[in-house]
Amino acid sequence: MSKIECSHCHLDFDEEVMIKEEENSASQTTTRYFSEESSAPQTTTRYFCCKGCQGVFHLLRDSGLESFYDKLGDKKLSAPTHTLDESTAFDSDSFYRQFVTKNSEGFYEVSLIIEGLHCAACVWLNEKALHRLEGVIEAHINFSNNKAKIIWADHIVKLSAIIDMIRAIGYNAYPYDPSVQETKANSQRKAYYLRIVVALFSAMNIMWIAVAQYAGYFSGMTQEMKTILNVAEWILATPVLFYSGWGFFKGAYFGVKNKIVSMDMLVATGALLTYLYSIYITLMQEGEAYFDSVAMIITFVLLGKFLEVLSKKSVADTMDAIAKHVPNEVSVVQEGVSERRSVHEVKAGDLIEIKPGEKAAIDGEVTRGEGFFDESSLSGESHPIYKKEGEKIISGTICIDALFHYRATKDFSHSTLSKLVSMLESAMRKKPRIEMAANEISRYFSTVILLVALATFFVWWLWPHSFDRAFMVGISVIIIACPCALALATPVATLVGLNLGGKRGILFKEAAQLETMAKTQMLILDKTGTITQGRPEVVNSRLFKELDKALLLALCSSSLHPIAQAVAAHLKHEEPSLRPLALHTSKQLPSRGVAAVHEGRKILGGNAAFMKENGIAVEVKTHLSLFFFAVDEELVGYFELKDRPKEGIKELLAFCEESGIEVLMLTGDHQESARFIAEEVGIKNYRAELSPQQKADIVASHGEKVRVMVGDGVNDILALASANIGIAMGSGSDIAIEVSDVVLLNDSLKSLKEAFVISRRTYRLVKQNLAISLVYNAVTIPLAMAGYVIPLIAAVSMSFSSLLVVGNSIRIKWKWNR
Amino acid sequence: MNSGIVIMMLGISLILGVLALFGVIWAIKTGQFDDKDKMMNTVHFDGEEELNEAAEKERRKKEYRPPD
Repeated sequence: MSKIECSHCHLDFDEEVMIKEEENSASQTTTRYFSEESSAPQTTTRYFCCKGCQGVFHLLRDSGLESFYDKLGDKKLSAPTHTLDESTAFDSDSFYRQFVTKNSEGFYEVSLIIEGLHCAACVWLNEKALHRLEGVIEAHINFSNNKAKIIWADHIVKLSAIIDMIRAIGYNAYPYDPSVQETKANSQRKAYYLRIVVALFSAMNIMWIAVAQYAGYFSGMTQEMKTILNVAEWILATPVLFYSGWGFFKGAYFGVKNKIVSMDMLVATGALLTYLYSIYITLMQEGEAYFDSVAMIITFVLLGKFLEVLSKKSVADTMDAIAKHVPNEVSVVQEGVSERRSVHEVKAGDLIEIKPGEKAAIDGEVTRGEGFFDESSLSGESHPIYKKEGEKIISGTICIDALFHYRATKDFSHSTLSKLVSMLESAMRKKPRIEMAANEISRYFSTVILLVALATFFVWWLWPHSFDRAFMVGISVIIIACPCALALATPVATLVGLNLGGKRGILFKEAAQLETMAKTQMLILDKTGTITQGRPEVVNSRLFKELDKALLLALCSSSLHPIAQAVAAHLKHEEPSLRPLALHTSKQLPSRGVAAVHEGRKILGGNAAFMKENGIAVEVKTHLSLFFFAVDEELVGYFELKDRPKEGIKELLAFCEESGIEVLMLTGDHQESARFIAEEVGIKNYRAELSPQQKADIVASHGEKVRVMVGDGVNDILALASANIGIAMGSGSDIAIEVSDVVLLNDSLKSLKEAFVISRRTYRLVKQNLAISLVYNAVTIPLAMAGYVIPLIAAVSMSFSSLLVVGNSIRIKWKWNR
Repeated sequence: MNSGIVIMMLGISLILGVLALFGVIWAIKTGQFDDKDKMMNTVHFDGEEELNEAAEKERRKKEYRPPD
């Protein structure tokens, strides 16, 4: 069977399942490419994997947007994974109040997050499609964070029509509240860009003027020429010092106010004094001016700071992505009619309707209906839970297969889901931060240097020298001690670390985390999905009779239960060509098994209790999960299943032992299964039967230690946010990945160990770099104090120390890669 | 070398450079570098059609302005 590509989404499918569409392309515009070769009409055959893709394809072509496919190239689109709720909800007043704003021109604005954007072509398509929609003024999509801002005239087109358009072309959009914080973070980043651009421009231009001056210093130059060059440098250095370097003055001012000598203080005084001295030289028309040093100090230190700002993630972005998991509206039933209402308008006691696939937003009690709920997001329990009248519904859980009516017992803000979100937000804001080594050192360093420079100046002045000479020596001390190398030591080293991690599928979201992780004292692991595979696997089987595998496969495939699925996977793995037989009827019995009929034979599959209920005696002693299989009330065989630990756990634990990291396992699972896994892999400390909140409390209770929490599920998010470093598995839930600081893309424990190794190496590199810049200063500062170093040499050597630090970082990277 | 020439050359080259700098600053301020992923693909999405669309946008703004 040949695989063939869908004309829209470019995913491969078997040819026989594709929708085939033949078309005489003579009538199409595409013929113009072929018409030179032959005038005969050509037939193009297109294949579509589903009606959806076919629909989108024609929609795009009819609106003249087929150049999307040229822009898409050979990239593939992902298949939709869920059905969407109704778009008319977007037109409700409550929605408008919450998310839509009216701008000064009378147009409406909304911020959306668009799902399914893969490439720039997708962005282009969405913007184009929206622009073509009558009534839309502007649609701007940011590809980096998938956020869109749409401005439209509400009397011409409704928001629901806009959302429908996005959905019609195969994407989805959900609103978010652009918080004040996000706007602030963005404008701050922009301001940094501007300052850097100005600093770089001026510093580079000063450099080439300085080259002329240095050349003139050695080969002779008239004073007139020198002054011209000095004035040009003066003009260029002014914006660097007062615009780009403004942050340092501000930092120094706040430092003085709080009685702290910061690095900002050293940079600000050093640069300002040099600047003033150079102006004096320029006006007096004698001696050497050092505007180039001013520009260089500011530019280098600013670059180092910028590298740190760039790699910082904002809490705001994370919270926006989480908001998607919180429903905005619910259906409230009043006098037999259901009506969409904002979650904030629902009071305790209201009757709420929930459809299959919907997520409950409010806690309550079932009044009508019975069926299954997926509570995995809260309890970590992977099996669906059966609910009937009178039972509690917890917000955040998803209704799987039936229509429920339930009475709200709390309002939205007191419901589990919204409490969870607010707890998460506060945990993320209060995240413990560990002071970076460089910051600690630079504080002492700055104080010492300023005092030394001052002392040098006075000693030279009182030991009779001219004011000029004394001032120059004092300044040379500050310039040579300029913390450029110190400022670059950490950012450059962490960049190397981030890079190394990235190549191995370890994503550090923030540079500072490398240093924190290197200081880890405690590793907290989640059980399911982190230590273990997260799904049961067949480890053993026993058959009493001849087994019809096709029949068993049919039975197991009809169930969604993880154990039945695992047996089905096991059978398929043994015999890939196996095809399931068609069953006559099949019935799911919650927490027992499946019963089916095939050609008059009664087939049962399930656990021991289920077999006993049907009068089949089973006697197997094991701690593993079991799956029995019986035909016509006669036991055919059973399978033993187990959630196996992942590879690399032994190495990880050995590494922790060796480096003195305490290991603790937390799980929501039963005591018994926790004990079993802990004993198998060799973890001494573990806690079982924990709720998400309890997990977080345990993590927080070890506050005196530097803690790393590793998890994968929604039930771990609070704990992830409470730890110093939260690490999520790449296959984990979206929220867990959002909340965490480090993501292991390949889910393996080997990369967890590597993450530790990389962070430790990086931290060592940081320390090395700091040592280099300090030793450098220890050698050069005495020379400068003795007056052997003129500021010119100081400026040159300053760049040299920065180069040393950068060079050292590159050396490590090169060594590691080999 | 005549110092007048040096002044002129320095002046002109710096003015040219500053003009370019203002161009970059303007581009940053109007948000052209906000989206680094999209920026790298600008070449795909910069054509006559886009210009027409920008003009169209201005027209729409006037046409759709709601009566207040």
